[in-house]
Amino acid sequence: MGRYIIRRVLQAIPLLFFISIVLFFLMGQLGDPVATMGGRRVTRPSDRERLTRQLGLDQPFYKQYLYWLVGNDWTTIDMDGDGIGDTNGTRRGIVRGDFGMSLMKRGQTAWDVIWDRVPNTLLLMVTAEIVIIIFALLIGIFSALRQYTAADHMITAVSFVGFSTPIFFFALLSIYIFSVNFKRWGLPSLPAVGMFDPQVGKTPGQVALHMVLPVFTIAFVSIAAYSRYIRSTMLEVLNQDYIRTAKAKGLHGRQVLLVHALKNASLPIVTLIGLDLALLLGGALVTERIFAWPGMGRLFLDHMQRFDTPVVMGILVILSISVVVFQIITDLTYALLDPRIRYD
Amino acid sequence: MRKITWPALLALLLAFGLVLAACTSGGATTESPAATDEPAVDEPAVDEPAVDEPATDEPAAEQPVAEGDRKIATFIWTQEFDTLSPLYTAMWFTTTTYQLWNVWAWHFDENSNPIPVLVTEIPSEENGGISEDGRTLTFNLRDDLIWSDGTPLTSADFVFTYEMTVDPANTVGTTYPYDQIETIEAPDPQTVVVTFTEPFAPWLAWMWRYILPEHVLRPVFDEAGSLDDAEWNFAPTVGIGPYRFEEWESGSFARFVRNENWHGERPIIDEIFFRFVPDDASQVAALQNGEGDLGTFIAYSDVPALENAGIDIVTQPSGYNEGWYFILGDEQIPGHPALQDVRVRQAIAMALDREGLNQDLLLGLTKVPKTLWDSLPAYVSPDIEPFAYDPDAANALLDEAGWVDTNGDGVRDKDGVELVLVHGTTTREVRQDSQAVAQQQLAEVGIQLDIQSFDSSIFFEDYANSGPPYTGELDIAQWSDAPAFPDPDHYYWLCDQIPTDEAPAGGNFSRICDEELDALFRQQLSQTNVADRQQTFHQITQIMHDQVYWLGMWEDPDVWAVGPRLLNARFSGVTPLFSIAEWDISE
Repeated sequence: MGRYIIRRVLQAIPLLFFISIVLFFLMGQLGDPVATMGGRRVTRPSDRERLTRQLGLDQPFYKQYLYWLVGNDWTTIDMDGDGIGDTNGTRRGIVRGDFGMSLMKRGQTAWDVIWDRVPNTLLLMVTAEIVIIIFALLIGIFSALRQYTAADHMITAVSFVGFSTPIFFFALLSIYIFSVNFKRWGLPSLPAVGMFDPQVGKTPGQVALHMVLPVFTIAFVSIAAYSRYIRSTMLEVLNQDYIRTAKAKGLHGRQVLLVHALKNASLPIVTLIGLDLALLLGGALVTERIFAWPGMGRLFLDHMQRFDTPVVMGILVILSISVVVFQIITDLTYALLDPRIRYD
Repeated sequence: MRKITWPALLALLLAFGLVLAACTSGGATTESPAATDEPAVDEPAVDEPAVDEPATDEPAAEQPVAEGDRKIATFIWTQEFDTLSPLYTAMWFTTTTYQLWNVWAWHFDENSNPIPVLVTEIPSEENGGISEDGRTLTFNLRDDLIWSDGTPLTSADFVFTYEMTVDPANTVGTTYPYDQIETIEAPDPQTVVVTFTEPFAPWLAWMWRYILPEHVLRPVFDEAGSLDDAEWNFAPTVGIGPYRFEEWESGSFARFVRNENWHGERPIIDEIFFRFVPDDASQVAALQNGEGDLGTFIAYSDVPALENAGIDIVTQPSGYNEGWYFILGDEQIPGHPALQDVRVRQAIAMALDREGLNQDLLLGLTKVPKTLWDSLPAYVSPDIEPFAYDPDAANALLDEAGWVDTNGDGVRDKDGVELVLVHGTTTREVRQDSQAVAQQQLAEVGIQLDIQSFDSSIFFEDYANSGPPYTGELDIAQWSDAPAFPDPDHYYWLCDQIPTDEAPAGGNFSRICDEELDALFRQQLSQTNVADRQQTFHQITQIMHDQVYWLGMWEDPDVWAVGPRLLNARFSGVTPLFSIAEWDISE
């Protein structure tokens, strides 16, 4: 098992390296971070020329990538524009743990900018994921057991609504119903934006209250998809011979369902969840934006719009690593769930 | 031992997460009032129609952190600050906070008149603040200026601000206008003397928009060799203004609390809470349900819904006007032959029902600007007669110019060239809508308008990066821009701003080189006498209008949404929150 993990990690290194080159190249093509530094006005041409030089954005692609990868503390930068390098570089490069300085949040390292958002993102996404898994399992198993009943048909119909609703529409709809209109009707309403009410302060109760709508939004759409998936895998397993055997042995219904059926049906579900977990760190782009939740998805969008390469690349690299790690974990989980799978 | 069940573990994790999230920043703090009686702004509050409705029913507090009756106003900001350091940003959402915690040496009121804040008076020729040759300015500072940490603010801080702005070790956003300075001196703690290389007329609009605390930042600069990585950039704990920085949580909020060391009028509101809400629809919802007391950059289409919810909409001219730039081209990048004839440009102005467009697309909340300088009426020639909507006159002018439809395809032509113009703008919805309207109206006078829209990051690229207005692919470009408001200077129009491969930095994308206009634009830059400068601008605006180098579509004021709790709110187009100390919040 240990050798298997080491082999997988070693295989991932060239892959991550390749991904980083492609992403860095694409980032460079997207736009010029200096173009938006003039605020509402177009950046003055002389400032633009100076900033491009000082921030090293006039360097060829390979040099910019090299500085990002291994740092520039072995060379000098031309800060005063006389064509001669006069200031020693201070960056150590991502391979030495330096993500670079944000081009947008001046004065902060890209790592700090990203790390600030990790707890908020995980809080929202892990909560949503837990809600998704619990409800999807309950609904999926329920409709598998009650196949073709009225309840199953109704769940199917609602699932398709969830499936086909764009998340932004659902998010705005929920704000207008539970936040704006409930307030107008004099009913207890839910907050629409942010993490807490400044009048009250940032208490766990406030954060939980402000999480209701975003979690509900993320969960609704995903539960629809997951529960359909669980329903079909459960149906497949429930028709297997060993389930009949288990029942014939006189095992309790719940034991048959949870130990024999669900465990065997969960293998494809684990694959799905494994992929999802890896991307939890990335946050939810649309939901975080609409509910003004300070997570990673919004960070990514904000910094992407300003072409802040260090931060965007930092997020993408972290996500890439996270995908690789969770892939390995998912593979290992298979072995736990299915004794027939061996990696040694 | 009892085994922990999965649901219990999950619940535990969730509770832990909530506590962790709640603990990443402290709650509100309590301030003890300390009265200071010197008003910074000596004008009475005007009658903004604020409704005295009681505070809305926010969810009950489980553990109230705030003590007593603290007055907290929540401002919705649709963009988060990039940095707070004035050296490194020109972002509107950041610079607008400076009236709270890092004031300008003078602010501007709702009529764009300067109000002294850090100086005793605005320099003028009459009070000896401006030298005869217009190159030297003397600023007399108040003697009661104190940074929020209690350290006196002196002329040394002004000199330090200049030094840090022009030092190449700092990758500042702009060195303007400090790069125009020849010498700067501080003969005593309350006097700053600045000498420019040339007489510099726009000083009032651009000088001392921020002051850096030398006692905080000098040691940082000396040690690191640059202010680029200074912690003050994102946690400016020392500033000067009615409020002081308290905290900023990335992506979520920023708080500014009353500065008890402020020399001016004591602010009524205890705390200003900025909440970052990036989505326009969410901003509207948050204003409607009382989660925000102030919103900005409201889409015109949202105005009726907000007004129905009792929210007051305030428009404040900020120098910006949406308009069409005619790209005439030159030998290097030729423009469309039709646009070289002023009669064609005038015909276009008359063929467009711009008043109707303002009514239909912008709900009549804006006006059609005559010139780029309409927010500065004193600088606009009183003799300008705006082009009225008159398709018949437009047709006649086009016929006279020799552009007629000879091949019967519905589009005018001349010498084998069809009158097909390419119009480009950004993807902003109202712009695209106006493009479609213009296309229809110009078709009625035989002009075909091909319309294109670009992502703003592409559209505003420069010559070197093939920005569409620069490449010759467009004949007309539309966006909103301002002069150096509240200064009238506008640098696009100079002949030497036409970019070339050898000198790609110029900003004159229209490639218009009108020698008379060029001479006037140069002349005004050194006219420190306001009346003389206004006369020059009367000539400039008359030429710009008559030649139709720029055609106004709609005034683009700042649009503020003021919630019913917020009282006494007045705005300026330059320093929007200039009267923040007078604002109040009803309970």
